[in-house]
Amino acid sequence: MAIIDFINFYIVPGLLLGSIYAVGAIGITMVFGILRFAHFAHGDMATMGAFIALAVVGLFGVTPWTALPIAMVLTAILAVGIDRTFYDYLRKRPAILTVMASLGVALMLRSLVQVIWGVDPQTYQRGIVRPDTYFGILLRPRELYTFLSVIVIVVALTIFLRASKWGKAMRAMSDNPDLARLSGVDNRMVTLLLWTIVGALCAASGFMLAINTELTPMMGWFLLLPMFAAAILGGVGRVEGAVLGGLIVGMVEELSVLVMPGQYKAATAFVILLLILLVRPRGLLNGKVL
Amino acid sequence: MKLKTTAGLIASLLGAALIAAPAQAQDARIALLGGISGPIAAMAPPMIAASELAVKQVNEQGGIGNGGTLRHVVGDSACNPQNATDAATKAVNIDRVIGIVGPHCSGAVLAAANSVAVPAGVLMITPSGTSPQITAIDDKDLVFRTVPSDDYQGRALARTIKERGMAKVAVAYLNNDYGKGLAESFKAEFEALGGEIAGYSAHEDGKASYRSDLAQLARGGADTLVIFDYGDGTGLTLLRQALENNFFTNYVGADGMKSDAVIRELGADNLETFFTSAPVGEASESLENFRAAFSAAGGNPDAIFTTTAYDAAFLMALAIEKAGGDRAKLSESLRAVASAPGEPILPGEWAKAKQLIAEGKDIDYKGAAGDHEFNQAGDVAGNYAFFKVSGDTYEAIADMK
Repeated sequence: MAIIDFINFYIVPGLLLGSIYAVGAIGITMVFGILRFAHFAHGDMATMGAFIALAVVGLFGVTPWTALPIAMVLTAILAVGIDRTFYDYLRKRPAILTVMASLGVALMLRSLVQVIWGVDPQTYQRGIVRPDTYFGILLRPRELYTFLSVIVIVVALTIFLRASKWGKAMRAMSDNPDLARLSGVDNRMVTLLLWTIVGALCAASGFMLAINTELTPMMGWFLLLPMFAAAILGGVGRVEGAVLGGLIVGMVEELSVLVMPGQYKAATAFVILLLILLVRPRGLLNGKVL
Repeated sequence: MKLKTTAGLIASLLGAALIAAPAQAQDARIALLGGISGPIAAMAPPMIAASELAVKQVNEQGGIGNGGTLRHVVGDSACNPQNATDAATKAVNIDRVIGIVGPHCSGAVLAAANSVAVPAGVLMITPSGTSPQITAIDDKDLVFRTVPSDDYQGRALARTIKERGMAKVAVAYLNNDYGKGLAESFKAEFEALGGEIAGYSAHEDGKASYRSDLAQLARGGADTLVIFDYGDGTGLTLLRQALENNFFTNYVGADGMKSDAVIRELGADNLETFFTSAPVGEASESLENFRAAFSAAGGNPDAIFTTTAYDAAFLMALAIEKAGGDRAKLSESLRAVASAPGEPILPGEWAKAKQLIAEGKDIDYKGAAGDHEFNQAGDVAGNYAFFKVSGDTYEAIADMK
């Protein structure tokens, strides 16, 4: 196999898939880091975000990439609403209740998508796109934009968390919630900000998956396992870990067919998850121990 | 004293109600289970509508037994074994159905049959469960299908594309009972004919990227990709990614790929080298009857599996009528009404069938999709055609032998 084929058909798809996982995994890792629960509605929230973008495209006739920021804002509002309606009220109770509630929210969101948009696969733009060549590397515009968006999102988020007052407050909550509260960090404000960011990230990951494949009501649910694997692999609570984990999981999935029959591709995320929990539960970048 | 009288009155009323109950019990309940959500979601609604047309005709033309109504419940088997088991359990235990039309997908059929219908003694007729494995279910003669086994389809497809000069192919199949069954039959026949399978691999449902799978398949140098998957699900993703990267020249699918979603989302101009096989009803008066009735009811008779879905429901109704609503006699009655000899009954001729059954005469249903002469395993033989994309729909270009 020529090296260029290897890059085009294994490395590039792996990176693309990994970037999508990464954006989703950041949200999962942030929820876990700050609110201490595994958010099962994450995948279906991503589905919802992708479909909201579809609605924006349909209603205003804008290009999908223009619809993305609008969908991110709307999904952020939705995420905050879900938190206020379902999770906020369980906050003082054991975390497992919130986890189960999030599973219920996942089912509700999926059913809502099915009721509003139906169950047929849909796309933002009909037809197929043949790639352009950049020094032998085949890339479609949508893939380029996906990579660029992921970079912008990760950089912006890192700057926010490192440099801004509220970003620092969020990190403080993640490191030690009691100490953060004692130092006067506003718990509710941090939670509000968290869900705003998580909602926007969900919409972005769902959108990027959908524009590279199709929109289906189950697409987000299928993402959940690789995203959790990515978050745990990188170290729970670590944003850079989630990015690293996402890229690794995506890459391993795509490369797995070189050594294993294709039907085991879906199992690779599982294997990574099991191995990391067994060997290094802190994750690659020393996250919180689960 | 007065209280006692009232109580006595109520008791006798209750008793009367209980005695009167059997008159109501002439209503027969059946379930229509289908993949309403999940990978065949676009195919399911016309199929359910076709089955409902049969139910409607039955009730318009005299109903079941002596003034009874054929009632139906619709359940979502979601094209997967778990949902099918849940839906069938609910239909049998809560809705108390005596027969199930469906489920649609092979894996769903196997699960619902093995864990619900056969143990409960409920007759099941699937209009689209095509896996060769369904033939082998230990079914106490309770599982039938109005669609031929994929063993025929896989072999017919192998012969057809070999004849059309595609001698070196790669096969990508969905790792479930449907995909696997087809792929195995196809492979056996294609290799027996001297064709070369230059790539053969299964894939899981619901992944975002299949490009590395496709690259692996393309490495063998095949110019044709045979996809055994669903065009409303992973098959669409797979086909898109294969087309976008020019991995192959020709693309061939089986009945699962013959979905409108493929044309709608990929565009007909990109699908000039895409072909599918699918079962077709042989041109017959039966088919014409069905087409006219289904069009009049607002359905699209060209939608896939509508003929088999109609026949399955109509046969179920005939069997119930013949058995007089007795669950234990259903499968025996089904064989009696479906098999020759007997007075031919065409789609929609419920009143005629009902009268003949009442007179104790033997009938033979000639369905929209075929004659439905069930063999020992409850399977039927079938006709297939080879389709290409033309405009925004599929056009048959050849019969498949």
